[in-house]
Amino acid sequence: MLDLKLEDIDGILVRYNVALEKEMTPDEAAEELYPKDELVYPIAKAIYEGEEDDVIDGLKAAIDAGKDPITLINESLMVGMGVVSQLYDEGIIFLPNVMMSADAMLDGIEFCKTQTTEVPEPKGKVVCHVAEGDVHDIGKNIVAALLRASGYEVIDLGRDCPVDEVIEAVEKEKPMLVTGTALMTTTMYAFKEINDKLLEKGIQLPFACGGGAVNQDFVAQYDLGVYGEEASDAVKIANFIVENGEGIEKLREEFHKH
Amino acid sequence: MVKKYTSMAYASADDMLFGNAKFPVKAGLGLEIGAGYTTPEINYAPRPQAGKSKEKLIKEYERITTDSMARMVQIGAPSVVLETEHVEQMTNNPEWGGAVAHAQKTIMEEYHDEYGIKCALRHTPGDIREDRDYLKLTGDKFDLLMESFEQVAQNGADLLSVESMGGKEVFDYSILRNDTAGILFGIGVLGSMDMETVWTGVADIAKKNGVVAAGDTDCAQANTAMFIAGGLLDKNLAHTIAIVARAISAGRSLCAYEAGATGPGKDCGYENTILKSISGVPIAQEGKTSTCAHSDVMGNLVMQCCDLWSNESVEYHGEFGGTSVQCWGESLAYDCSLMNVALKTGKAKDLRDMFTLSDKYRDPQGYVLAYDNAYRVGEAIAKDGNDNYLRAKNAAVECCNIINEGVASGKLKLTRFEINALTKVKDDLDALTDDSDKFMSDCLTRFKEEVAVFRPENYGL
Repeated sequence: MLDLKLEDIDGILVRYNVALEKEMTPDEAAEELYPKDELVYPIAKAIYEGEEDDVIDGLKAAIDAGKDPITLINESLMVGMGVVSQLYDEGIIFLPNVMMSADAMLDGIEFCKTQTTEVPEPKGKVVCHVAEGDVHDIGKNIVAALLRASGYEVIDLGRDCPVDEVIEAVEKEKPMLVTGTALMTTTMYAFKEINDKLLEKGIQLPFACGGGAVNQDFVAQYDLGVYGEEASDAVKIANFIVENGEGIEKLREEFHKH
Repeated sequence: MVKKYTSMAYASADDMLFGNAKFPVKAGLGLEIGAGYTTPEINYAPRPQAGKSKEKLIKEYERITTDSMARMVQIGAPSVVLETEHVEQMTNNPEWGGAVAHAQKTIMEEYHDEYGIKCALRHTPGDIREDRDYLKLTGDKFDLLMESFEQVAQNGADLLSVESMGGKEVFDYSILRNDTAGILFGIGVLGSMDMETVWTGVADIAKKNGVVAAGDTDCAQANTAMFIAGGLLDKNLAHTIAIVARAISAGRSLCAYEAGATGPGKDCGYENTILKSISGVPIAQEGKTSTCAHSDVMGNLVMQCCDLWSNESVEYHGEFGGTSVQCWGESLAYDCSLMNVALKTGKAKDLRDMFTLSDKYRDPQGYVLAYDNAYRVGEAIAKDGNDNYLRAKNAAVECCNIINEGVASGKLKLTRFEINALTKVKDDLDALTDDSDKFMSDCLTRFKEEVAVFRPENYGL
């Protein structure tokens, strides 16, 4: 077959990811971000490495040394996850690392809960669902995992979720944010129905939508819609609400990029 | 009874070419696929509100079909395939799918009768075999899917396809955790087992109705990996892992042809060049003309051996140049015209190689799917063709070897991250048993525990 000379390839395509790869390895970058406390450090590192057993071992050691389990959630588990999130945002580590760290962190939180009668306070509550008629849920699963890993309580309504079930959950749980994902154009129409039913009931809250065929133009058609291009935008939207309130216009200014 | 492939359809990679399949397929109204010419395959999705009722859906597909056929005639395209990927209402209500197929075919027959344009209609029911929480691959949902095939076959569909989802529950869990054994188990073992069941059923229905059991695609898994991997700068999945998942998927998608399908393979099966090398069936592909649906990093390369050239899917709506199906269909038709000129003028192999080279070094995915390397993956599958697990593992190992050779040549450049991810996959593969029964037993134990939605009974396990 025909082939290109080595020196000709760069004129045809550029692997920008190779050209721009950072010198520092992910492990080195993480090392710079870990907290220095000798009891907290191994927990944060185990979170980064996604090692559930090491997380529990670290928590046991810290509790044995007198640390409060609830405090450890915020000051070790969340800090470790913060390192992971920062490195992911900076493009130093990839999504599977984040998912494995999230699994480890959730195991850590469950362990801490068994060590105390106190209940940890989430940053906020989010209702997540996949549109009615749509069973493609990998995006929703990523959204839910990333939100939980960032300290939010997630009410996961699963996939193929009827419109009325979303409305009932919102009335019951009073979340700060609802998320909806859909792969197909025909199912995403359910988002508009949810929007209309929420407004009929006088409920105003941001409704973050994204996934396969969903685009900004569609989401902007209904009053509560905020478009999320990436799964990780769900966390950014939640954080933005915590910091700036739930005004839809402000959210759209921040997240509608097109 | 399925007959497994243990040898290659082509003596060498260089024998593979667009518009030519070792075993061409006659379908529809005067069309022969893979018989020396390429044909555009137009794909579309109805507008969101069209799914509200059966009548609205039929009307929408009538508009789509008329627009598509009219544009093909206006620009002088000699042949076209239309593919209708069902919205869930059409498969869950089989008579809806049948009514849509009938309405579309009626219009296509009118165009064929008036202009002589060669054409065929592909229908792809949705894989609706699941409930809210779990895959439900057997029982009522399976019967409903088969009834959908029956209805579309009786009412005008010429080519039957599906994007089946067996193994996806384990795959979805595994791909987000870099779990090589899980990816192999989900696609290569569970996916293959389900494919054999589904395609035995589809092939029977096709035979009974005198239509073509076309082919499947590992859209639910390998394309999920490709989409998560994204572009060069995306940080969601190493592209080296995505192409290993793709190589594994070839063994899985091959099961359709082993169960009686004859091609053309589904457009979004980027594994199709590998499948063609083993089976000799015609294939549909998509690339630069499917940017309306998604981005990939091999827009020209995938044309290399295609027999149908597709746009994947576009929502039906207006554009400056007509409706979306007209605009994208026209682009497809001109690409096919170029390929057909190359075939007639003796320049086809040069054009094929230019398609391939324009993307071969862009990304490890394109590198492995370049027809010379795809052929090697095919050989690795055929070597242990009788064993779904071993052939999937072979494909993954060969994929790793091919990438490493590309890196060693200096032509395929990878980031350290991609290289490390590849090294991990290769180490994982090397540590796996060659005993299929042991692999099955180990994975069953592990994934029953780790994946809450995994139901072994879906696979008769």
